[in-house]
Amino acid sequence: MTPPINSTDPAKGSTSISLSQSADPRRVLADRVEQMYGQMPLGIAGSFIISVIAAYELREGRYVEIVAFWAGLVVLLTAASIGLYWSFNRSATKASEAAQWLRWLAISALANGATWGFAGAVFFPSHADEQQVFLAFLLAGMVAGGVPIYAVSWPVYALYAAGIVFPFTYVLGTFGNRLFAEIALLVPAFYAMNVGVAWRLNQVFDSGYRLRHAYGKLTEDYTALNQRLEQQLVELDEARRQVEASGRKLVLFAERSPIAVFEFDVEGRILTVNPSAETLFGYAANEVIGRIGIDTLFAAAIQEDVRERWRKLIDARAPVIGLRALSTRRDGADITCEWSLTPLVNTENSVISVIVQGRDITQQLEAERMKQEFTSTLSHELRTPLTSIIGSLQLINSGVMGDIEKDTLELTTIAERNAQRLLDLINDILDVEKIESGKLTLMIEALELGELVTESLTLNRAFAERFKVKLVAAGELRAVKVSADRKRVLQVMTNLLSNAAKFSEAGTAVEVTIEIADSDTVRVAVHDTGPGIPENFRNRIFGRFAQADMSHTRQMGGTGLGLAICKRLIELMGGKIGFSDRAGGGTTFWFELPHHD
Amino acid sequence: MPVQPLNRICYVEDDVDIQRIVRMSLERVGKMTVEVVSDPMVAIGRMIEFKPELVMLDWMMPGMDGPTLFRKMRDTPETKDLPVVFITAKASQREQDELRSIGAAGTILKPFSPKDLPEQLRAIWHALP
Repeated sequence: MTPPINSTDPAKGSTSISLSQSADPRRVLADRVEQMYGQMPLGIAGSFIISVIAAYELREGRYVEIVAFWAGLVVLLTAASIGLYWSFNRSATKASEAAQWLRWLAISALANGATWGFAGAVFFPSHADEQQVFLAFLLAGMVAGGVPIYAVSWPVYALYAAGIVFPFTYVLGTFGNRLFAEIALLVPAFYAMNVGVAWRLNQVFDSGYRLRHAYGKLTEDYTALNQRLEQQLVELDEARRQVEASGRKLVLFAERSPIAVFEFDVEGRILTVNPSAETLFGYAANEVIGRIGIDTLFAAAIQEDVRERWRKLIDARAPVIGLRALSTRRDGADITCEWSLTPLVNTENSVISVIVQGRDITQQLEAERMKQEFTSTLSHELRTPLTSIIGSLQLINSGVMGDIEKDTLELTTIAERNAQRLLDLINDILDVEKIESGKLTLMIEALELGELVTESLTLNRAFAERFKVKLVAAGELRAVKVSADRKRVLQVMTNLLSNAAKFSEAGTAVEVTIEIADSDTVRVAVHDTGPGIPENFRNRIFGRFAQADMSHTRQMGGTGLGLAICKRLIELMGGKIGFSDRAGGGTTFWFELPHHD
Repeated sequence: MPVQPLNRICYVEDDVDIQRIVRMSLERVGKMTVEVVSDPMVAIGRMIEFKPELVMLDWMMPGMDGPTLFRKMRDTPETKDLPVVFITAKASQREQDELRSIGAAGTILKPFSPKDLPEQLRAIWHALP
């Protein structure tokens, strides 16, 4: 994020901060150092040429060797300065180590100044008057000429000029000439003025650099901001297109929907109507738009109830789903519709309008009623003859009617068994119908599971003995309570035990265990010694009319509905059912029921 | 709980086959005395004559259904205290609850086992207050 170029300092009130202050000082210093090194060639060349001229003019003094020494010093210094300049230009750390490069430059400037100071101090007393004037002129020129070269950093200039001025001032002061002594007093003043000018120029340069950097940064930020704005504009445009497309889709859905769709305002007035609504209620759209929806669409007897629900919907902003209500069509016919009322809420949490969808379920309700009546009649009409058949055969087979011939008994036993199968099938089909239509009511109560399992073992023992299989509890059954429907748990147990008995090997025992599955559930498991569940049957074992091998239906009996019913019953009681392979052969069928605290 | 064993039973049922099976079951297996009535319209009069200890009613019968006959029995001083067991092919929980709510002593579902029927009736008889 771009830092603000103007901000408010809470301590000082509303104070404007300079634009240039937002520049990075390290980058400003690096730029200044770069600038100074950039001017070095001019400084080196100027200083060297003037030194050559000076050495030539001063060669006829008393100390020629000293002049030669000085000229050598100049050459050395020039070479060192060139070396410094070359190193800087090749350096990769120009910017990161700018402060160090400035220190090297300050040393170079001081050395340069001191070389000229040495010339002033040594050659001024040893030469004739004209040469003294020449020397004073040169030194003044070098001091003045240093200002543009070094003023980018005023301390560097101060060092350079001090190197020239102070030895020369000392010589003037101690020369013994009154005029020279007066000049010696003025020279530091001139020095101070020059340093002052350099300081001022330094400030100007500094501001310039800061401004340049701040501007650069501002430009970068502006470009980034601009790019983001452009991106957001593109996204906004895409979002607008999507909203438009969704709007078109919604309109299309409403128009083509087979369900009646209305839009009501907050007062309950009809705003829009779709074609299905026109067809269902017999009104044209322009006849109902603007009318109060509840008065127009709902039967008079239930209008007050619907108004109450409407008020709650508007207050709570919560949808009403699955409201079944009687409506009166324009032609006076009564129909029953299932309604969904969904409030459209804006970002301020106010209801803008309510989408009201209605589906005619008159025929569906009639079909449900007929189905229920049919099932009830079927149940009665099938059971009544079976009562006679099974009852008669049981009386004969039990020997109550006296002894009968062996072959006849065999046939009547077959007849009784198959009549019982037919009854089981009817019961199973009725159970499936009841479960699927949601008509099955459960009597959930706290049950002592151990007692219930023991009872189921007793009830099914005779059946198992037909297959020469024993039903036993593995060890002592736990005394534990579950929340379940007694009759339905017995039905599930009967189903699992009879399956286990049918498929176990003759002469073996089916074992039943009760385990605590976890703190909330109790597991009952029935362990058989059968051949196991074939791989291709495992995923549909709890489906309807599921038999691993159709020949079993005839061999073993059963409708193939038992496990599907068990699964639904256990789930309705809040439990789970499943099976697993038993180590050493056989299968364990188990179910879990909620623990009763 | 009644002290004497259950012996005299009146059974109102329109289906003659089932009448016969119940009679055989109760007489031969249960060693009881049974009065079977086919027409519910005359059932109360026959009960007053026969003086049963327990009455068994079918639910669905032509002319008058079991629950209606039961209510009529309750309105008749001679039959109002007789325990009534419904024997019905209607198996739904709602229908069984309905029978309990009108004061039935018990319900036996069709098809029943004739072998076990006398014992089932005795169990209901012994559970009476």
